[in-house]
Amino acid sequence: MLKYSIKRLLQSLVTVFIVITLVFLLMRLLPEEGYFGDGYDKLTPEQRENILRKFGLLDPWYIQLRNFYSSLLKGDLGKSIIYRPDVPVIDIIKLKIPFSAAFGLAAICVSLFFGLTMGIHMARNKGRFWDKVWSSYVVFINAVPAAVYLLFIQLYITGLKFRGRSIFPMLFNRHDPRSWILPLISMSLGGIAGYALWMRRYMVDQLNQDYIRLARAKGMSDKQIMVKHVMRNAFVPMAQYLPASVLLTISGSIYIESLYSIPGMGGLLVDVIQRQDNVMVQALVLIYSTLGIWGLFLGDILMAIFDPRIRLEKREGAR
Amino acid sequence: MKVLKRVIPVLLMAVVLLAGCTPTAEETDTPPESKLRESGDVYSVYSGEITTINYLVTSTTAEFSVAANVVDCLVEYDHLGIVRPALAESWEVSDDGLVWTFKIREGVKWYTYQGEEYADVTAQDWMDAARYLLNPDNASATANIFYSVVKNAEEYYLGEIDDFEQVGVKAVDDYTLEYTLKHPVPYFLSMLTYCPFMPANGDFLEEVGDQFGTDHTKILYCGAYILSEWRHQDERIYEKNENYWDADNIHIKKIVSRYNKEAATLAPEMFLRGEITGATIPTASLDEWMNDPEKSKMVRPAETSFYSYWYTFNFDPNFPDEYEPENWKIAVNNKNFRKAIFHGLDRVSALLTLDPYEPERMLNNTITPKNFVAAGGKDYTMIGDLAKWTASDSFDPDLALEYRDKAREELEGKCTFPIKVMMPYNTSGTQWANESQVVEQQLEGLLGEDFIDIIPVGFPPTGFLNATRRAGNYALQNCNWGPDYADPETYTEPFYPDGTYNWPEKATDPAYLLEDGRTVYQKMVDDAKAEVLDIERRLELFAAAEAYVIEEAWVIPFRVGGGGYVATKLEPFASPYAPFGVSSLQYKGQIVMEEPMGMEEYKAAREKWEKDRAAALEAEAAAGR
Amino acid sequence: MSQKEQQVIQAIEDEALFTFAEYDPEAAERVGYSDYSYWGSTLKIFLKNKTAIFLLALMASLILFTTIQPYLPNQKSPTKIHVDPATGHPLRNQKPSNEYWFGTNVIGQDLWARIWSGTRTSLLIAIIVGIWEVGFGIFIGAVWGYVRQIDAFMTEAYNVINNVPTTILLMLLAYILRPSFRTMVIAMCATGWLGMARFVRNQIVIIRDREYNLASRCLGTPTSRIITKNLLPYLVSVIVMRIALSIPGTIGWEVFLTYIGLGLPIDTPSLGNLLNEGRQVMMAPALRYQLVFPAVVLSVITISFYVLGNAFADASDPRNHY
Repeated sequence: MLKYSIKRLLQSLVTVFIVITLVFLLMRLLPEEGYFGDGYDKLTPEQRENILRKFGLLDPWYIQLRNFYSSLLKGDLGKSIIYRPDVPVIDIIKLKIPFSAAFGLAAICVSLFFGLTMGIHMARNKGRFWDKVWSSYVVFINAVPAAVYLLFIQLYITGLKFRGRSIFPMLFNRHDPRSWILPLISMSLGGIAGYALWMRRYMVDQLNQDYIRLARAKGMSDKQIMVKHVMRNAFVPMAQYLPASVLLTISGSIYIESLYSIPGMGGLLVDVIQRQDNVMVQALVLIYSTLGIWGLFLGDILMAIFDPRIRLEKREGAR
Repeated sequence: MKVLKRVIPVLLMAVVLLAGCTPTAEETDTPPESKLRESGDVYSVYSGEITTINYLVTSTTAEFSVAANVVDCLVEYDHLGIVRPALAESWEVSDDGLVWTFKIREGVKWYTYQGEEYADVTAQDWMDAARYLLNPDNASATANIFYSVVKNAEEYYLGEIDDFEQVGVKAVDDYTLEYTLKHPVPYFLSMLTYCPFMPANGDFLEEVGDQFGTDHTKILYCGAYILSEWRHQDERIYEKNENYWDADNIHIKKIVSRYNKEAATLAPEMFLRGEITGATIPTASLDEWMNDPEKSKMVRPAETSFYSYWYTFNFDPNFPDEYEPENWKIAVNNKNFRKAIFHGLDRVSALLTLDPYEPERMLNNTITPKNFVAAGGKDYTMIGDLAKWTASDSFDPDLALEYRDKAREELEGKCTFPIKVMMPYNTSGTQWANESQVVEQQLEGLLGEDFIDIIPVGFPPTGFLNATRRAGNYALQNCNWGPDYADPETYTEPFYPDGTYNWPEKATDPAYLLEDGRTVYQKMVDDAKAEVLDIERRLELFAAAEAYVIEEAWVIPFRVGGGGYVATKLEPFASPYAPFGVSSLQYKGQIVMEEPMGMEEYKAAREKWEKDRAAALEAEAAAGR
Repeated sequence: MSQKEQQVIQAIEDEALFTFAEYDPEAAERVGYSDYSYWGSTLKIFLKNKTAIFLLALMASLILFTTIQPYLPNQKSPTKIHVDPATGHPLRNQKPSNEYWFGTNVIGQDLWARIWSGTRTSLLIAIIVGIWEVGFGIFIGAVWGYVRQIDAFMTEAYNVINNVPTTILLMLLAYILRPSFRTMVIAMCATGWLGMARFVRNQIVIIRDREYNLASRCLGTPTSRIITKNLLPYLVSVIVMRIALSIPGTIGWEVFLTYIGLGLPIDTPSLGNLLNEGRQVMMAPALRYQLVFPAVVLSVITISFYVLGNAFADASDPRNHY
């Protein structure tokens, strides 16, 4: 396992290198006009040249790439060029990550708890009333565009009044815990539906398996079967996604963060790509891809731990 | 030189009179401290976050609107649009109009974001700011505005001279500042209210280096407010600078702005709940507000801006063969063809996509908008031939059909009908897409689908203008231009040879060309530019050139920017008024009212303001004659 | 020995209960023969699900309706702006009426016609992209999951493609090709299969080393046969569910693309376009119909596909067959 892990980690460095280089080159394919914003017509050619020079964009691409990597090796992610000119990327994101990570982790906990409970409840009542109620919820969340129901939640629930005062404020406020509730709920809705669906599906699958029949036949209680067999097996496919989703909580939720004014990372990447802030794009892609790849790797490991039948490495004799 | 000598002192006199009279009148009626009016704080939400507050580099309105409230300029405008002294107490100009000397106000200080005194504001600060601005490494987007008028500044920027002492900005002593210009600039005072002419403390610039203006702790304050907090994409808090030299005119003590990406959608609701001071009402929900008896009392029009939009005919088509550029080239060079579209475009219908309630308010019949500049008590758009266009709507179906028939007759056999008209739009929003559809169907409906075939083509926001207008990749396009200084010259740039708009110099009409190789229009503009002393004459010449562009139907004047509707408790017509520069972005003089102003009240207030402004302009003019 | 057991033994010994049967070759044949057919059973179970049948009929008629709608009498053009003859201005924001069944939008186009035209466009995109996603995604995923030799390479390729932000690719694509139906389909196809491939790969990794596959391998069954006969049928149910989810997903993507300005051009209304337009007026209760109508049609479609997919997944699971 250790050898395998080291190999995967080294491999991830190669992947990140390729990704960053690719992103670096793709960003340079975008039109130069994008670096000037609306003011393009008001600038003289000399000014445009000076602006490009300041951004380091006048050098040939391979020089730019070399400069980028040499400063990266020194641990310098660079300074933003357009999003917040001259501010180090680290300073920008270190203010934002805590918000996204806090909300993201809380939402994962909430959705795991409620989602799994709901899924189990559904599987146990398969075809009966509660199964149908929760299924409608899952279907609704999955089918109705999030942009619509999230906006409706904010619009109507923040309008609720108790003794003439709003119960939930419309916007996030770091000092007011009441304002944390709605974003958290909104963020968890999708997750709850997702986990519940998977849980139900796998539980139903597993309950049909022969080993469950055997366990029943040998007189295990339902509870024991659930915990020792079903849950454990049903958890295997989920285990693969969990680490990546935990690590990537720092990337935030585009829609909810913007709706409630949470100053997190949500939408930052899309934003800086559209503004063509190359340095920010490179730094964010570096961070996200590293975490994403490690997440995948951790997921594989976790999956192998939960299900010993899964072999990640090539073994002697196996084809 | 004589006239300039006459004009400037007049301006000065008017300023001194206005500045002097108003307080005296008030002093006799009321005790001075009551000049400070009661006002609540301002709460707002915004969706476009600023990237920097480095006012010496940025050219974006949202960004210099911060600077407008935290750093003062040499001069400023009052609420009627009359120039008043700010950090300069007085000024004079040399006989040749080249050397401007400013007497800097004493006792004004720089403060840090925590309100601690940093240094005195001295003449040196304008020199240091200029040095920073003209350093190419800082890549200032407004340096060209500065070096287009100040002597040797361009040479210094381009590295042709190394000695900053030769640049035409000089601190004669701590409180005397001298600008030397490369040529007389009659509108120089208006330029001073723009950021490249703002001061900056040299020691501080050195201290923070390239971090200047990256956040609220990295600039110094000498204006009405101090930005005590700025958390990016979160919150901005301005607090009144109690030591401000004109603190009596600052009534709002605190301004809190919260960031929200969906601000445009949420703000109206938040306003109704009393969470914010004001909100823009989106076009889509306007009917809703207007038809509600309660809500309609709170809505009023917002001021239009000086951005000017026109539908432009391209004389140098460079689009794909499928849109038949050669055919278009023949058609566009036919004046009757252009006039048919010029008079055929129902601008009000197109504007309904933007302002369904009072579209006429945003119509602009000339290229330079109304109330931009005035001379001799007359608004620029009412001078000479421009008055004819200002007074009438270009849309005239009968006239359009008449021109269409003439055009068809002349073009028959030379052009294939229908003439394809490629009309690009930006796909980033829905309004432009909607407007394109309306224009397409309206024009084709009126002039006949066998005459023209308007083809709206969507382009993504990435590199939009480079792909369309600047590349000549259009036949007819809605283009715009905003002013760089308070003079009509600024609106001639798009049509002057070497512009990147519609290349009228490539028109084949022999009547457009002069023997000396210049175009008729070029000569008209050159002549107007050369007239720097007699302001009235200057404006007449520019008005003639502008009327020529409209008469020849190179463009179809369409609308101004801004506008829309707001529900706000902020008092209108109390803050500084200026067509250009940062003054109009200040909260100075404004209060937060108990109740928002409704339509009728607003109209009355506007009428009063217009009367006051006309009187003020006339007083200024009369004092000079 | 308990009393009960003794009773059983006694019963077995009681010859009256057990008599020898005569050998009958025909009966022996019948025992060895099974009329079980996988797809037959799937269909049979599926047909038992009343909701699914109803939704299937609904979707079939909806697809039929969107196809023939423009040829029905009294239908309006989805892009024509209707003008008030009295004022000459567009008939904006008309409430639903006899003339305009779903009302008109902010510039006076008939919402009824737009919704069906949009449904047509969006379904077409969703179907093209869905087929591609399933076909290409499953192929790549199956090979990736089963063939160990290329796993490292495929994982590497996946990681690279997955980590290059889609926004960059889409912006470049729209910049080069300009927004159009074709661009939209290409953009979605270029990235949509990744999720499916990864999903199939993970499923296969989970089951590829199960004993029955080991047995097949020992017997020398070729890889392609193991994938198609041993692995994929096991996955049919989960894959079908994935497909059902990909239709709402594709439409959601379209909304996002429209939002960042890479959507379809104005002369092709789509559900994404309509939702985006409707969202802008949702704060005005009187105009909310412009959001509600497209949202309802969209939800009916996505919910139907979703439920259908689930029903089919249940039906195609051999363990539910009996």
